Amino acid sequence: MKSTEKEDQKDDKKQETKEEVKKEPPTPSAEIKGNFVLIDRAVSTLEPRFTHRVLKTLTTLVKKIDEKIIRNAIEEVYPKESATKTALLSWLPPSPSEDVEMQIDSSTSATTTKPAPVTTEPVPEIDIYLRLLIIHQLLKSADSVSEAKDLSVETVKKMQALNRRSLDSIAAKVWFAVERSFELDGDLAEARPLFLAAQRTAALRHDDDTQASLINRLLRSYLAYSLYDQADKLVSKTTFPVSAGNPQFARYHYYLGRIKTVQLNYSDAHTNLQQAIRRAPPATLAPGFYQAVHKLFVVVELLMGDIPDRGIFRHPVLEKPLKGYFEIVKAVRTGSLSQFQQTVLKHAVLFQADKTHTLITRLRQNVIKTGIRRLSLAYSLISLKDICVKLHLDSEEDAEYIVGKAIRDGVIDGRLVHEKGWMACGGAGGVKRGYGSEVAEVFSRRIGYCLELHNQSVKAMRYPLNAHRKELADAEGAREREKELAKEIQEGDLDDEDLGGDF
Amino acid sequence: MAQNQLKSLYNDLKRSFEAKPFDLKKCGSLLAKLKIGLIETGLLTPQGEHNIDDLVVARDILEIGAIWSIRTRDVPSFDRYFSQLQTFYTDYSSVLQPSKNEYPIRGLNLIRLLTQNRIADFHTTLESLPIPADAIADNQYISHPVNLEQWLMEGSYSKVWNARERAPVEEYKFFVDSLMGTIRNEIASCEEAAYESLPLKDALTLLFFNNQSELLTFAQQRGWQVDLSRSLITFATKGEEQAEIPKQKLISSSLAYARELEQIV
Repeated sequence: MKSTEKEDQKDDKKQETKEEVKKEPPTPSAEIKGNFVLIDRAVSTLEPRFTHRVLKTLTTLVKKIDEKIIRNAIEEVYPKESATKTALLSWLPPSPSEDVEMQIDSSTSATTTKPAPVTTEPVPEIDIYLRLLIIHQLLKSADSVSEAKDLSVETVKKMQALNRRSLDSIAAKVWFAVERSFELDGDLAEARPLFLAAQRTAALRHDDDTQASLINRLLRSYLAYSLYDQADKLVSKTTFPVSAGNPQFARYHYYLGRIKTVQLNYSDAHTNLQQAIRRAPPATLAPGFYQAVHKLFVVVELLMGDIPDRGIFRHPVLEKPLKGYFEIVKAVRTGSLSQFQQTVLKHAVLFQADKTHTLITRLRQNVIKTGIRRLSLAYSLISLKDICVKLHLDSEEDAEYIVGKAIRDGVIDGRLVHEKGWMACGGAGGVKRGYGSEVAEVFSRRIGYCLELHNQSVKAMRYPLNAHRKELADAEGAREREKELAKEIQEGDLDDEDLGGDF
Repeated sequence: MAQNQLKSLYNDLKRSFEAKPFDLKKCGSLLAKLKIGLIETGLLTPQGEHNIDDLVVARDILEIGAIWSIRTRDVPSFDRYFSQLQTFYTDYSSVLQPSKNEYPIRGLNLIRLLTQNRIADFHTTLESLPIPADAIADNQYISHPVNLEQWLMEGSYSKVWNARERAPVEEYKFFVDSLMGTIRNEIASCEEAAYESLPLKDALTLLFFNNQSELLTFAQQRGWQVDLSRSLITFATKGEEQAEIPKQKLISSSLAYARELEQIV
């Protein structure tokens, strides 16, 4: 689970960046430089869009860069005697003493290549961005994880001291880096107070990006330690910002789905997971997330008494990892308790790793119900003993209770005749349920869903800023023209009339 | 309260807790005093670093408190003790040696949730247990409530009934007794749906009653018709529900569609 999610978190960002990379494959250092310009512009124009563009390329960029590139970037953007520069460089290996040397080296080379060395300190956003790059760089090797942790904590402190709104979207990514470094270091729980405090601040400042990111961080940290109660309380006490990006939303829905499933609220869990699947990046780009969501989705569908779509198990990305789940589905579908138990045993390790084991053991009753349902369809009269044998139940007594419960729950339509020890099925008229209200309900649910989708997509559309001004001007112009036209026509009319008059 | 006074009280409590017969009253008063002591030393809900021995003592006191609450049949009090113990079981799990009472108490909590029919909470708690899911079957304290829940859900009521005697700890029985009441009502509602009529003596065994008079009072409560001469219980057949067209609902949803479509076009 953990590893797959990691993959997904990287991947869902990758997907966004791919298009841009195709267009122009610049060298990493050129890309970083370009990003500096964009960040600068974002700060000066107060337009977060530019920062978003920078952050979109983060994951691909991180994969391409190494220490040297970062160092050069730092050298180029900061003036020679800069405290920030020294601070940044100190985080990069090799050891500090060598570092100083390198610093001089590269700075001289920088000055030779660039005739006019930078003399002004760049905006702090660039500092934080560089720190973010360094953290990701440090996270690449297992040895420097603790360093990354220290740096991330320091960066967070710096960010909070700076308290600049133009930093918000970068901050959201920094929080992700914080979580990664704590998680890789094995003490995610320690970061929780940090997240909680930051979440409060973010909520107060209406910093949506950071808030969305932090809520997901917290949920992940709670769920990693199976603290479903706390996670549930967090969800009920916070509102997930509507403006959050799709990847964050997908994750949020997935976590919600997990919580709801544990709480036996299957239909809500089902909706959440469906949302997570819809909002998730394409399967081939983020296979980990896609698989994790689908695993849970299959189990939830089974728990709801539905049989998942066969197509899911043929999907190239899902086929292999979902094999165990497919076997469970088969067992549930046939209602064979022994087959079900065998499958659970066989794949216990897999389910354990996916944290779905307890959920799957909940399926036992569904298996029995399906079994009884099949029997009730096949036989009009069947003795309790035969039910017992066919469903591998322990005793006739149990069978009687179980069938009784199934009848009460409306799973089957039948009667028990205790004196004779048999179950009579479907005798009383068979068709008990009318179609009317049920169909109408399903219909209205589906229509409601379609309408919701439409409304959501309308809301999700983006319009360029101030575009309406132009339109207004156009409209103004059109009105002018119309007036003129009307005038002309009027005059023309007059002409016509005049002409007519002449004739 | 001084530290050593707390210690002596704790020893007192421990002695009277282990003594047979168990002195409920004395334990209760000792616990009340000890709780004040714990609050004063900041050990009731410990935060930050504490002496490990102190933490163990605090945990022991709370554990005894939890078991004592069950013996005095005070479920809300058990609930409070259990929440206080959570800190020791989760936050200090890396520092403290696991307590031998931890799982019995966790199990008791699970059964409590089950008897109160808080199935969602039951599963949430189960999910957050620090043991892997396939080890549950090996832990008798946890597997007991887990099995009970499973049998209840699938309808194997006789298994629940039989398991009542196999409780791993004496205290479990307190909850199992109240569970029986729930089960009886469950079975009764199943019978109403599944049978047209049922001989008295079969109903007796199905509902786990010992004698007929108990059954008769129960039948009266549920409004069953008992024919003593034929010794037969007949269940009132529910009249065929008239399928009514939910006019209001249909109209309102049609109007809603119309409004939405109007917005789209």
